[in-house]
Formats: sequence, C-alpha cells, structure tokens
Amino acid sequence: MISGATCSVVALASPKGTDTFCELCQRRAHVQCSRCQVTFYCDAEHQRADWVGIHERICQLLVPLRSPTLFSSQHPDCIETQIKKVRMSMELIEICKSVAQSKFSEGKYQEALPAAQFCLRCSMDVHGPSTAQLVPAYLLLAEANMGLGNLDLVTQLLSQAEWVVLKSPECGHTIHHQLHKSLGLLHMATGNLEAALFHFANNIYFASEEYGPDSPVTCGGYFLMANIFARQGKMSIARSLYSEVAQTWHCLLTKRLETHSQKANEPDFLFSQRAEVEEMLRTMLEFEQNASRKDSAQVALVAHCLAMLWFLEGDSAKVSHITKSPSINFTLTQ
Amino acid sequence: MAAQRRTAFFLPEINNNNKGRRKSTLHRLKDSLQTGSIPDKSAQTFSRKEIALLRNSLKQNICVEMLQEGYHRSFSELFFLLHSDQDRRAAAEPGSALRLQTPLEEQQGKLETMRLHLSQAEQAERIGSWSVVCEQRLILGQYFSAPEDLWLSFHFYHSCADREEGGCCRPAVEARACLADLYLQQGDLEQARQKAELCFNQVDDGAWQDSDGWSLRVRVRHTLWRIYSRLSDAPLAAGDYNEALELLHKGYSMAAESEDKQIEGEANYQLGLAYQASGDHDAAKKFFSTSMQICGTRQDADGLGKAYKAMAKSLESEGNIDGTVRLLEELTDISRSNGLQYNLVDACLCLGNIFFTMGQYKRASESFLQGYEVACHVGDVALLQKAQALVASARAHALIGGYSADVAAATPTALQRLLAWKETRRCQELNTDSTDRTVTAWY
Repeated sequence: MISGATCSVVALASPKGTDTFCELCQRRAHVQCSRCQVTFYCDAEHQRADWVGIHERICQLLVPLRSPTLFSSQHPDCIETQIKKVRMSMELIEICKSVAQSKFSEGKYQEALPAAQFCLRCSMDVHGPSTAQLVPAYLLLAEANMGLGNLDLVTQLLSQAEWVVLKSPECGHTIHHQLHKSLGLLHMATGNLEAALFHFANNIYFASEEYGPDSPVTCGGYFLMANIFARQGKMSIARSLYSEVAQTWHCLLTKRLETHSQKANEPDFLFSQRAEVEEMLRTMLEFEQNASRKDSAQVALVAHCLAMLWFLEGDSAKVSHITKSPSINFTLTQ
Repeated sequence: MAAQRRTAFFLPEINNNNKGRRKSTLHRLKDSLQTGSIPDKSAQTFSRKEIALLRNSLKQNICVEMLQEGYHRSFSELFFLLHSDQDRRAAAEPGSALRLQTPLEEQQGKLETMRLHLSQAEQAERIGSWSVVCEQRLILGQYFSAPEDLWLSFHFYHSCADREEGGCCRPAVEARACLADLYLQQGDLEQARQKAELCFNQVDDGAWQDSDGWSLRVRVRHTLWRIYSRLSDAPLAAGDYNEALELLHKGYSMAAESEDKQIEGEANYQLGLAYQASGDHDAAKKFFSTSMQICGTRQDADGLGKAYKAMAKSLESEGNIDGTVRLLEELTDISRSNGLQYNLVDACLCLGNIFFTMGQYKRASESFLQGYEVACHVGDVALLQKAQALVASARAHALIGGYSADVAAATPTALQRLLAWKETRRCQELNTDSTDRTVTAWY
C-alpha cells in the first residue's frame, strides 16, 4: 500500500517565523507530505497513520486551502477567497464525517481518529470555538475513542460537547439525539446503567421529534435501551422493546423488498448501516433463542428480517443457511 | 490535542455559571413538584436528572421518564397524541376556540394522568392481564370528560373497546357503552347504535356494574332507547311510519325492561305519537293512556300534561269532541292544582281552539282569556302575545256573528240593539269598561 510520500521539512524553506506542527499530535514537525507540501508530521509513523486515516482522501484538497496565504493579501477581492475557503472547509468537514463513519462501520476505530480530529480542527476554524457546529466533530472523536476504550478521554470530549449544547439553545433535535446516544454509550461502558437509560431515553425522545417514533433511527435507541434492560435482568421489558424493533425493521425491509424487485440495483440506503442492522438482528435472535420462554413468532420475525437483509444484498448462501437452520425451521413450522 | 486543550477552562464554568442562574427556578420547581425528599446538602449540587427537569420541557421530561421505566408503547402513544394535538391546533382557524386552548403538552395534570394509566396498562399488557389494560384505558376515557378533550376520550374508549384481546371483559363493554353515549351526544346515531347493540349483546348475561355503580344492563338499555327514539325521527318526518314504528317498538322494549319508569312513560308517549301520526288512533290512545298511568303514579305532571294533550288530539281527530273537551278540562284542573303554569296556559289555549273551531266563540274567548291571565302571571311575553291575539280573534268572531245576525234579521229589536251599540261605541273608545257590557248585550 502506498502511504503517501514523505520528505523532510527544511525549516529554511518556509517563511520566517512560521513554525510547523504535526498534523496529529501538534508537536514540532520534522517531515511533510511531499504531495501537497502543506501537511506536516513529527515522524513517518504519524504521517502513515494520517495517510490511512484521512489524508489520502483530502491531500490535494488541502493545497488550495492552506498554501495561498502569500497570494491572498495581494488578491483584490480578499473576502471572496475567504468565502471560497470556508466553503471548501465545509466540504472537507463533510468528507471527514463520512470517512470516519465508514471506518466505524468497519470497526477500524484507530484509523478513524485522524479523520475525526481533522473534522474538529476544521470545524473550529470555520465556526469558531464552542459553537454548536462543533458537536458532531466532538461526537465523532468520542466515538472513535470509545471504540478504542479511552473512556476518560470520551468523558472529557462529551462534557465539552454537552457544554456547547447547553450554551446554544438553538441546537437542533439531531444534535441532542446524537449527543445523548454517545453519553448513553459511555455510561453503559462504565457500567452506570441508570444514567445510560436516562440518556437513551432522551436519545429516543429527540429522535422521535426529528424522525418520528417509527423511524429506524428511533428504533436504534430502543435497541440500546433493550440491551440495558436485558443486562438488568428485566426480561419482559427487554422483550417488549426487542419486538418493537423487530417489527419496525420487518416493516422497513418488507417495503424495501417490494421496491427492490421493481427497480433492481438501486443504491441501497441500508448499506451504510448494514453492519449495524445485522448486528442488531443477530443479538435479538440470540436473545430470543436463549430465553427460557421462547416466543417463536418473534424468532420467526427476526429470522425473516435477517433473511430479507441478506437477500437484498444478494447473499443467497446466507439466506439459504438461515432458512435451513434447524432451530429456526423448527420454530417456523410450529 | 485540540479537544483536550480546552477542557481546563470549559469545565469549571459549568458550575460557576449555572448555580446562580438556576437556583431560583429550582426552588420554584421544588415547590411545584414537592420533591421534599432531596436533602438540603445536595441542594448545592444538582443531579443530572434535576437539572434536566429544570431545563427541559414538561413534554420531554414526561416522555423521558416513561422511556426510562421501559414503557415505550406508552411513550409512542403519548407522543402520537401530543402531535395530533399540535396538528389539530395548527389546522384550526386562527383565533378560533381551538387555537386559544392551552396546548395539551403544557397541561401537567393531564400529562401525568396519561402517563400513570398508560404505564399501568402497558405493565398489565406485558403479563397479558387484558382486563387491567382495558380498565386503565377506560379510566383515561372517563378522565377526559371536558368538551375540549372529547377527542382524547374517544381515543381511549376506542383503544379499550376495539382491542382484540380482552374485548369481552367488563371495562371493554363499559367503554362501548360510553362510546355509544358519546356518539349519541355527537349525533352520530349509526355509530352509537352499533356500539350500543354490541354492548347490549355482551352485557346481557352478566350482572356487571359500571364505574358509578349503575347496572350496565340498565344503562345500555337506557342508551339504546334514546338511540332508537332519535333514529325514528327521520322516518317519522319523512312519513315512513312502518320503519319509525319498528324502531320505536325496539326502543319501547328496551325502555320497558330498563326498570326506569320515566323513560317507559316517555316511550309509550312517543309510540303513541307515531301511531297518531300514522292515523291509528286506537293504538295511539292505548299507549297514551299507559303513559298517563305511568306519569300519574310517578307524579310526573309534565309527562302527564304531554300525554293528556296528545290523547285529546287523538280524540279530536276521531271526532269525539266531548271526550276531548272533558280531557282538556281535566288537564286544566290537574295543571292548576299542581301549579304548572305553562301546562295550564297550553291546556287553556287548546280548549279555546276546540271551542273556536266548533264556532262557540264565547266559550273560546273565555278559555283564551283564562290562558291569557295565566300567561300574564307567568310573565312570558311571547306566550302572552299569542294568548292576547287568540282572545281578540275569538271576541271579534263573536261580535261579527251577533252584528251580522241583527243586520240580516232587520227586526225592530235587532235595530234597537244595533242603534244602542252604535251610540255606545263612541264612548267605548274613551271608556274601555263599557266594552264588556256592549258585547254582552248581544247574548
């Protein structure tokens, strides 16, 4: 794999008084990316990490953003360049977000870090410190650290995000929804289940406000809550929540299947959250199969969901596997 | 790292800034929520939950608490209701009564009640105890009795009556009875009938009581009688007597078994009226007399008056004038002795009308006058004016009769009388007392 080209920084080459810092750790830089020549690193290790994480995607995009400081002052319409820069930064933020998300769904949290960091820095440059627009970046960073198990750092990041949200009452439901989800996950990881429940409840509330109570987004909140109730041993509540989730997804997948047969090979909205959904369905199936009092209708429903999901992906081997699985066949025939 | 650098100065601010600003609100909240359980020590640092209570809307707090306890179905139902409330209000005309109502999401009592009973219902639903589910929903239906909350009442009654499981338990049946009443109130007779008949079939073999301790069976019979009676109005008005009679007979059988004499009397009366309209006076008289009997034993002078009048009308249409007069005189006596002024006026005017049509103008005018005097006593101007006109018309008829007879006869006595009248007429305008004497001179 090519991990970008490196060349060492020649301090004399840069204008007087400009210090260069590592893109990842903010220490004094010793190497730089030879492609864009505007990104610096303390060592080749960080350069490689950044390359894999985000720099490969945005390397050339950074050139116009970072280099033309010399020309901009001579340029007659300086404001216009500024606006252009802001617009480019916004674009970069979006790219970082999507890159980080896709890394998360692949489970590569370490690799998602540079993207999340860059996203935060870029957001700060554009929107200023402690503005509501920083929250998604904080949340990305928190999610990456959560995956890596740096809970202290996550706590710090999230309290920062929370503080920003507190100070900006104009924050939309989406931001609240995401923040509460992250906070809930954090409390769940630290074992504070009651606090986690509180945040997941808020998460569901805001998701319902934004997307409606039956949307798959809200459903994700229900699933998280159900996990907590299952951990607390409140099985009847967990079961009730799981069945709600299963029903919502069943509805969604059935609809999806109908439209799928009409127009094949459409880009699938499920694809982005596919791994998450599959994980969710598997957990529910396992929960139901391990339960002392088996609800075969629920098992069938979840199995059907899984089968539909795999079918939509064109993975017929898995579909035939699940339909032939003895325990599921047994419950289906019942 | 960028994020870390700022931690140091972000965090302390949360405490410093928040305390002074929030404290007064918390005290207010403390009073309203009566959370006396919080010890004084912790009043300095609030828990996350307490802060949330202060910062967030009532709707959010209630929703979050429900979710935290795992009542997700209750949450989505409440959420749905709150949004329909918003939609209703948004769809209403600006400045209309609906717009001016307090939004549902700001009425703490109602939200708390819904939360409590919905949660209990969901709890019962999880363990499959359907009658508790229905009972909780029934309570909610009854709770929203105010006219502006009618839609909520409908929602909860329906959610109780229309569910698949537990549809035959007592609360569900009672919810149907309540729905029938509500639909009847709204004038949706077909829906009311459907609900009431369903309820009647289910209640028939049980000694169930409703929440107020009434027998459900009696109650639903009561409702059904009112529904059938209202349903019969349309065919009656259209002249379709068979259908009207069929409906009224159904209602009659409901009323007869309802153990409520008042509606039984009413049912008899209505059936009588229908028969009367269809021209079957014998049947009509039979029902009227039953109604008279029932009202007599119940001392229901009002019902009695109506029955008497209807009976008199039937007799009159049959040509039995003596009977009619006798009956109306009886009615006058009853009304007078019971002090029922309106009935008395009515009876007098009816009697007068009968005399009037028979050409006995003097007796008619006497009756009308009687009615007029009572109406004066009551002070009802509209009634008074009506009686006045009737008196005048009867007197005029009486006068013209005598006058034209005298003119046609042309005998000396007759001419004498005419002359005497002519002489006195001039002063009559000045002296109203002489009127009576002049008129009586003819008879």
